[in-house]
Amino acid sequence: MSEPELVFRPKPARPAPAGTLGVIGWVRHNLFSSPANVLLTVLGAYAAYVVVSAVLDWAVFNAVWEADSRRECLDMVGRSGACWPGVAAWFWNLIYGLYPKDEVWRINLGFLVLVAWVVPLWLERVRSKVAIGLSAVLVYPFLASYFFLGGEKGLIWSLLIAFSLLTFVWVLATSVVERRTGRTLAETLLARVGAADADPAHQRRVLLWSALAALVVAYAVVWLWRLPETPTNDWGGLFLTLVISGIGITFSLPAGVLLALGRRCDLPVISVFCTVFIELFRSVPLITILFMFTTMLPLFLPVGVEVDLLVRAIVAVCLFASAYMAEIVRGGLQAIPRGQYEAAAAMGLGYWRSTALIIMPQALKIMIPTIVGQFIGLFKDTTLVSIIGLFDLLNMARAVGEDTRWLGLFIEPFFFVTLLYFVFCFAMSQYSISLERKLDTGHRR
Amino acid sequence: MLALPRSSRRAGGLIGWLNNAHVRAILYQVLTAAAIVLLGWYLVHNTVANLDARGMSVGFGFLDASAGFGISFTLIPYQEGDTYSRVFLVGIANTLLVAIISIILATVLGLIIGLARLSDNWLIRTLSRTYIEILRNTPLLLQIIAWFFGVFNLLPRPRDSLSWLDVFALNNRGFYMPAPLPGPGFEFVIAAFVLAVAFAVGLKRWAHRRQDATGQIFPALPVGFAAIVFVPLAVFWVLGAPLAWEMPELRGFNYQGGLSVPPSFCALVVALSVYTSCFIAENVRSGIQSVSKGQHEAAASLNLKPSWTMRLIILPQALRVIIPPTISQYLNVTKNSSLAIAIGFPDLVSVWMNTSLNQSGQAIPIVAMTMAFYCAASLTVSLIMNQYNRRVMLKER
Repeated sequence: MSEPELVFRPKPARPAPAGTLGVIGWVRHNLFSSPANVLLTVLGAYAAYVVVSAVLDWAVFNAVWEADSRRECLDMVGRSGACWPGVAAWFWNLIYGLYPKDEVWRINLGFLVLVAWVVPLWLERVRSKVAIGLSAVLVYPFLASYFFLGGEKGLIWSLLIAFSLLTFVWVLATSVVERRTGRTLAETLLARVGAADADPAHQRRVLLWSALAALVVAYAVVWLWRLPETPTNDWGGLFLTLVISGIGITFSLPAGVLLALGRRCDLPVISVFCTVFIELFRSVPLITILFMFTTMLPLFLPVGVEVDLLVRAIVAVCLFASAYMAEIVRGGLQAIPRGQYEAAAAMGLGYWRSTALIIMPQALKIMIPTIVGQFIGLFKDTTLVSIIGLFDLLNMARAVGEDTRWLGLFIEPFFFVTLLYFVFCFAMSQYSISLERKLDTGHRR
Repeated sequence: MLALPRSSRRAGGLIGWLNNAHVRAILYQVLTAAAIVLLGWYLVHNTVANLDARGMSVGFGFLDASAGFGISFTLIPYQEGDTYSRVFLVGIANTLLVAIISIILATVLGLIIGLARLSDNWLIRTLSRTYIEILRNTPLLLQIIAWFFGVFNLLPRPRDSLSWLDVFALNNRGFYMPAPLPGPGFEFVIAAFVLAVAFAVGLKRWAHRRQDATGQIFPALPVGFAAIVFVPLAVFWVLGAPLAWEMPELRGFNYQGGLSVPPSFCALVVALSVYTSCFIAENVRSGIQSVSKGQHEAAASLNLKPSWTMRLIILPQALRVIIPPTISQYLNVTKNSSLAIAIGFPDLVSVWMNTSLNQSGQAIPIVAMTMAFYCAASLTVSLIMNQYNRRVMLKER
């Protein structure tokens, strides 16, 4: 008694109409969907063609690649093509300034150390990322001063440099060990010396003594391996730009956190002071702060004390950046729900511990994209130091056209420098966008 | 109940006292205040010593002294023998002129680019995004210098200047345009204009009230607009066109007459407005995107015309997001106009904080006055912004 089984067989879907699929469909939909759009597309394509072809003609097709002076370039192509040999001749100065050529390896090594220092932050299975990140901000600058500045140092400064060197070794060793074994460096070391099961006090003693011994070794290295001093007058180019913006952002992070906490705290004296500082520095342009420090810092210091121009500029940039960073941090703190503060208080945590363990980690996470944006801004703003006479990347580019051999060569170095700035800033902004996506845990309210 | 022994609750007189939150709060503040006072005293002490060593005195007396230098471009009249206080005013006027013109241009440009960024045409979208990314990822100072050295300095000489209808002229000495010369009776035209604007505003209010009461719609917008345009024009013709134009003319090596601005001004205004337009464009885009799709659909289901949907539903909500960051961009334009010093345009920082400071050596009052101006501008803007925010704040129930 089997009835014929009824099976529902859908007809296969008809293909989409031709012209809505593939390249043609895309072009129709995105470029020629209406008469107005056709007109816009034609106009846009024409404008893009004019601009791109003009730039390419000038920068590539008509450009001169080999010449000894600007006169030669002008004789060859006139103004219709770029004169790149001038930029090539000044390339070294655009990057390193007037830093002695024999010493440039110190700059390169210094930046390589920084890269090695922060690379573990992006590696998986490295657990001590917070310590590594903090040490890069707080400890690396001493090592950088050792490489970049060189010269004689006092005992304390040398100790700090030795400590910085030791921290660098610790960062490398920790990240290697943690990636390999998944255990911390201390556990591995203790296991090596056979003290893995000893009592904690003994373990602490072992670690302390080995750290001290390593510090002594590091101090000996710093003491023996002295680098000749290179005065800051010789610093310039991209190197100087990176140094100023690097110090600015490094200083402004902790200072901004303190200022923001100060502005939000209940103690009226501290809160008023922080608010006045932040609002004052945020309401005036950076150039006035730079002028103020170049003209007034000599008045504020004891009679006879001279301050390096670079130091004045850096102080100005640091204070300016801290005020802006404080507002970013305040924004991050405001985004933390009240319940978090109350929960921390309910756990019996005091002000500093609840701030450091509960509030700040969450706030910092929200702030990272904004902080990267602030860093881009600061990186661009360092061009202003050229107005007070420092030879940063922009001023170096301007100096090319004042060289007697390349007299009047302004556009080409500016073009090159613009490209450099663009690459740095664009890369950072894209990174900040990807971070924002990665950190978006959907908890936003 | 857990009872602590009395002794441990009162443990250590000094420690216990220091653990009292109230005492601590006062202690921290006293320490901070002491540190600030000490730092201030140290700075003042050093400054006095330094000024003594240089034989200088601080005060605002120098403001009445003759400045003794010329200024290449001034909005308000200025001569070489005028006082320092006049120089300060000249600087402020020039800064405000640059800022206002740049703000207007940047807003128009930013609006266009921001809307282009939302276009359904892929090419227009991509082009505007490229424009924004290139300009906002390069330093403003670099752009100002590039516009100055790369464009406005390379323009042809006055004899071969680019001109438009023989009315406007652009060359390497600057930009020239006709100057209006109002004749007798022109003030009536201005009065008519003011009256027409007042009439239009009143009409709009009346139409609104009538619509609320009766539901009838009166086309207040086109009528008001027509009144603003045609009433002053009519008065102008009735009075026999009391306005002449002074044309710039090429005499000898340069243009004479008319209004003119130097190349540094053009470079500064173009660079500032192009740079700022990127940020305004992004504000416009994010503002319009922040209006949820449901609002469009709700408007459509009420059968509103597309133009009404835009004007009554989308724009009021988008403006709430667009305006606050745009106002702070306006403030940024004012601050960024201080970069004029790099190309020699005499704005406040250039003539006051640089030239006057070097001439008179009065660092402290000059720096203080400059900062006071920028602080005043910034405070004004934040007042306006707070007012606006309070007005448009979502009235949640």
